[in-house]
Amino acid sequence: MNTKRFGFAGVLAAFALAVSTLVAPSASANTQIVVWADESRGPNLTKVIAAKGDWVPGFTVKVVTFSSFDALKDAFDKATDASGPDIVVGGNDWVPTGAKSGKLAPLTLTAAVKARFNQTQFVDLTYKGKLYGVPVDINNVAMIYNTKLVSTAPKTFGEMVSNYKSLKASKGLKAGLCIAGGGMSWGAHSVFSALGADAYQFNSRGGIVYGRAFNATTFGKNVRTYLMDGKKSNGFFPATDTGCKDNFLAGTVPYAVIGNWEWADYVAKGFTMNLMPVPGVVDGTYGKMFGSVSGALLTTFAAKHGVESAAKSLLTNFFASTDGQVRYQAFEKRPPAEKGAQADATVSAAQRGFGSAASLAGIPQIGAFLNSNKGGANYWDSAPAYWTAVLIDGKDAVKEASKLASIWRTNTDGGRGDL
Amino acid sequence: MTGKNMTYLIRGKVAFVIKVIFVTLIASILLLLAQSAFAQREYVISGFLAISVLLLALTYLSKISIPLKFFIPGILLLTAFVIGPILYTVTMSGFNYKTGNIISKEEAIVQIKVRAIEAAPSGLSFDVKLGRYDGEPAILASDINTSEYFISTLDARIPLVASSVTLNEFGVAVEAPNFAPLNDSEFATADKEFTGTRFAFDDQYFIALEGFEAGVVSQQVLEFIPEKDQFKNLLTGAIYTDNGRGNYALAEDKGVILEPGWRAPIWFENYVNIVSDPRVREPLIRVFIWTVAFAFLTVLTTFALGLLLALALNKPIRGRRIYRSILVLPYAMPSVMSILIWGGMFNTEFGAINTLLGTDIAWFSDPNFARVAVILVNLWLGFPYFYLISSGSLQAIPSELMEAAAIDGANPRQIFRKITLPLLLQILSPLLIASFAFNFNNFNLIFLLTGGGPRNELDGEIAGATDILISYTYKIAFGSGTQDLGLASAISLIIFILVASISLYSLRKSKVLETFA
Amino acid sequence: MNKWLREDLWRHLVGIAICLFALFPLYLVIISSFSSSGSLQLSSFLPREISFANYSKLFNDPTIPYLTWVKNSLFIAGSVAVFSVMIGTASAFAFSRLKFKGRKFGIQLLLLVQMFPAILAISAVYVIMERVYKFAPEIGLGTQPGLLLVYLGGAMGVNIWLLKGFVDSIPAELDEAAKIDGASEVQTFWLIFVPLAAPVLAVVALLSFIGTFNEFILARLFLVDMESRTVAVGLQQFIGGQYSQNWGPFAAGSILASIPIVIIFLSLQKYIVSGLTAGSVKG
Repeated sequence: MNTKRFGFAGVLAAFALAVSTLVAPSASANTQIVVWADESRGPNLTKVIAAKGDWVPGFTVKVVTFSSFDALKDAFDKATDASGPDIVVGGNDWVPTGAKSGKLAPLTLTAAVKARFNQTQFVDLTYKGKLYGVPVDINNVAMIYNTKLVSTAPKTFGEMVSNYKSLKASKGLKAGLCIAGGGMSWGAHSVFSALGADAYQFNSRGGIVYGRAFNATTFGKNVRTYLMDGKKSNGFFPATDTGCKDNFLAGTVPYAVIGNWEWADYVAKGFTMNLMPVPGVVDGTYGKMFGSVSGALLTTFAAKHGVESAAKSLLTNFFASTDGQVRYQAFEKRPPAEKGAQADATVSAAQRGFGSAASLAGIPQIGAFLNSNKGGANYWDSAPAYWTAVLIDGKDAVKEASKLASIWRTNTDGGRGDL
Repeated sequence: MTGKNMTYLIRGKVAFVIKVIFVTLIASILLLLAQSAFAQREYVISGFLAISVLLLALTYLSKISIPLKFFIPGILLLTAFVIGPILYTVTMSGFNYKTGNIISKEEAIVQIKVRAIEAAPSGLSFDVKLGRYDGEPAILASDINTSEYFISTLDARIPLVASSVTLNEFGVAVEAPNFAPLNDSEFATADKEFTGTRFAFDDQYFIALEGFEAGVVSQQVLEFIPEKDQFKNLLTGAIYTDNGRGNYALAEDKGVILEPGWRAPIWFENYVNIVSDPRVREPLIRVFIWTVAFAFLTVLTTFALGLLLALALNKPIRGRRIYRSILVLPYAMPSVMSILIWGGMFNTEFGAINTLLGTDIAWFSDPNFARVAVILVNLWLGFPYFYLISSGSLQAIPSELMEAAAIDGANPRQIFRKITLPLLLQILSPLLIASFAFNFNNFNLIFLLTGGGPRNELDGEIAGATDILISYTYKIAFGSGTQDLGLASAISLIIFILVASISLYSLRKSKVLETFA
Repeated sequence: MNKWLREDLWRHLVGIAICLFALFPLYLVIISSFSSSGSLQLSSFLPREISFANYSKLFNDPTIPYLTWVKNSLFIAGSVAVFSVMIGTASAFAFSRLKFKGRKFGIQLLLLVQMFPAILAISAVYVIMERVYKFAPEIGLGTQPGLLLVYLGGAMGVNIWLLKGFVDSIPAELDEAAKIDGASEVQTFWLIFVPLAAPVLAVVALLSFIGTFNEFILARLFLVDMESRTVAVGLQQFIGGQYSQNWGPFAAGSILASIPIVIIFLSLQKYIVSGLTAGSVKG
């Protein structure tokens, strides 16, 4: 009885094996370039490719959209060449870790292509002297003021604080200046800087100053003067960004730092784009704001998939071209990094407001200094921690500031070799 | 369907034939997959599938083992997707597996070779067209600034007279004598052939392709010497050797390494680090104590509240149905949504809790309040479960016991303490232990509610006040900044040994396992 | 009256108090879903406005195929529930009823395996399924069958614990009687055990359904394609964005997603209570 069953099974199994040997794995050339993007860029890229897809002769482009930026990062962290993309549109802070870990591949752009961009944008995507992607769009913030509450642009930080104090009762203000876009580390750098704490300093020739950090005492004293009332916060600057956008739109906060990706929401509620950098303590100075780029990054998987040159061509022909950028930004509505596209008439006037604020007080976001690639606290965690410690927990503004300064100086010096 | 019909269906010739066909169908599919896996060089998966086929055939077509018929599919799936990853984790704990040391050594060598090619300092580049010259791969290069044109093959560079080439509207040469440009359909196969090829330029430099239309004058800076397993810098002569920890490093200065590195086995170093490095050890101890406290308090509070409700609603009072329906809602709602809403409720300035209580407690900024918040939310999430099981268990306790005690003169409180509670604990102890083990590793709650905070970054803390072992380990493995998966694996193994010991000990004590003797 | 006060009033008080505790956050979710601002900030307890903007966005926005997501979620969670119960029940029966060598060791191993902190499990499973995708793209990474297989990997261990106690409580005499009648173990399982165990199986199926329905960490890695996503993954796109979070549609989507679960839960309530506890009562 057993043998009969085995015999039956054996015959079928042999048959299956025989059939399966006829199934040979295919080995044709790969003609598809795979691009990964998040939930907002992905659909827009798909639309552009659907309208015109022949950016690289002989190759098609496939855009894979992830459900969120977090999901995209998660998947890219885990991807190997079996399933990974050829190009990924990600944040510029992915470059140091991606390059170090061998996930991102370097590329060289010709001088002609490079000339179409602002050279500092390449700094964001460079690691140890090699470039790993092409800038796609610029992200920066600027401060908007509500002309129904304050009619003129403030000249100094102090002016904003006194306006807040005088209007607080009559207009029922919930805060004076809050961060609506960019968070308490990235967006709030404008406030840090306005009061004297820059993440890294530039000398007169535009180079980085090493071995020194901002003056903790001056900054701490400014914080005490402008943001505190004794040991507690005076309510001008909240330590978190919760509810900031809603409050500004409702008219209960006169000044807000907003991101250039959400300008449409403000225009929809009837605000004009009165944009400027955050004014500093002294008239004529401003708080510096990060201008970061998201990049179309080249992966090492492209070479494994046999489409390395094709992917590089896509980067040059589409992502770094005026035509490609204009088509893309028509849907995405962020300011393009490419100069030709910037000059295009369809880039909205709102973006020009951000652009001029950036030209007054924008600095490049240099991941090597902000990320603490050697381990230990980085800028992103330590910055909001300062606001919590001083404005909520009531710790000493100067003492916490010197801790902050020491962290930032360590990271700047430590990141020097990664540039 | 009556029992008789079902018997007929399950036993008898018809059933036998159906069974054999079914098993062979599955076996064939698995064999097909095994063969495809083998063809794609996935030997481990192929072997696993083949063994599965053997086991399935043996189990279902012979009488070797009856119990196996019940759980062989479950075991196969368990092995593939649970035991496999566990073994992977244990293996990785012996490796230097972190940011910068992730890929394999072969892959790292390939990557370093790619990065060993650097553009010439002059930055000279050309617009190129790919094609063939005398049958060999070649590029037709144009310098539109100087109007110079040439053809470059692997061996030679042939300058061209400007009049002999045809230019397009951008001034780039597209045709030249003896040069056959690739047409669009050939680009796909050409990518592999042309990428990485070095086209001649001069003695020192070659032209490397950057895309299909640009060539950059480059030189190779590093050379790999396979016999000695070294990289040599061709310009400076520096030698980089394998430092045993996953990088090629300079002999003179071990800090100077070539990137990327690879995951190299370092055996027990991760474990030694956990014990010896205070920066890892101190937070670990603190987090462990809080994890035990958190799990214990959760079980205590959820059980207490659940039991209270079960006792209160034990009697069929009016509206009991409604109470019961409402009380299970926290358990039925998606926990992701609930946890995030609770997070919003604890907001200092605008949260519902502070508004209700009229306070301005900084819930997530103060370590102690954050811990209270975490326990409170877990109470909300977990009490329905214990309410349900306490309800049922109370009904299972024979009422004669309690009536007898009442007759003997005991008051309700005594009955509860001496009879009801001990019986309940005996019945529910496996589930209490299971709840402890579950909450010991309750990642979702901590991650979504507080992110492990509050944390004093300014003083360099990595572990937050509400971090439990698993969320702390997750941060080490996947946090922003340097991700150390090797260390995280080692910590995971240690966590596992702890939890397993505690659970096994409690199980032994509650004699649950005796039922399996 | 006094008797009622002493015996029943405290019961009602406890019931009402805890019901308020249970309902409060859910009430806030509902309000958020009806407010048109995109934040979780709740400035007043009574809704200032009732706006259906979030709900209409879920159904009308062409980039949000909400109903497709719900269909996917129901399919995946349902399949996992069914297969999970089958695997778990069969294993529990075998471990409890049948005597074989290594039984005690086997169940201990199963329990221990469940306790392993699965931090790297996601990376490992991802790598495995990537490789499966290479030779079998229909069941590898990015496919629903692939995700199903991964979820079922844990089916055996999780359910055995719940089921074992119940199986123990079924008197062995029933098995003996069946054997005398000439039934094999498999027949005993299908004809006697399964009908008796229906309440417990319903509980296990429901818990498994809920758990799978809410799972998004694995699902968002596996089901990238917009049309194959589950609800849990799809809703993430509202709150996992690079710079912004949109709580309104998230709240609305969550409420809608929980309705089927709540309905099933409430209608199976009687089963659930008896099922959950039958697992812990012996004899």
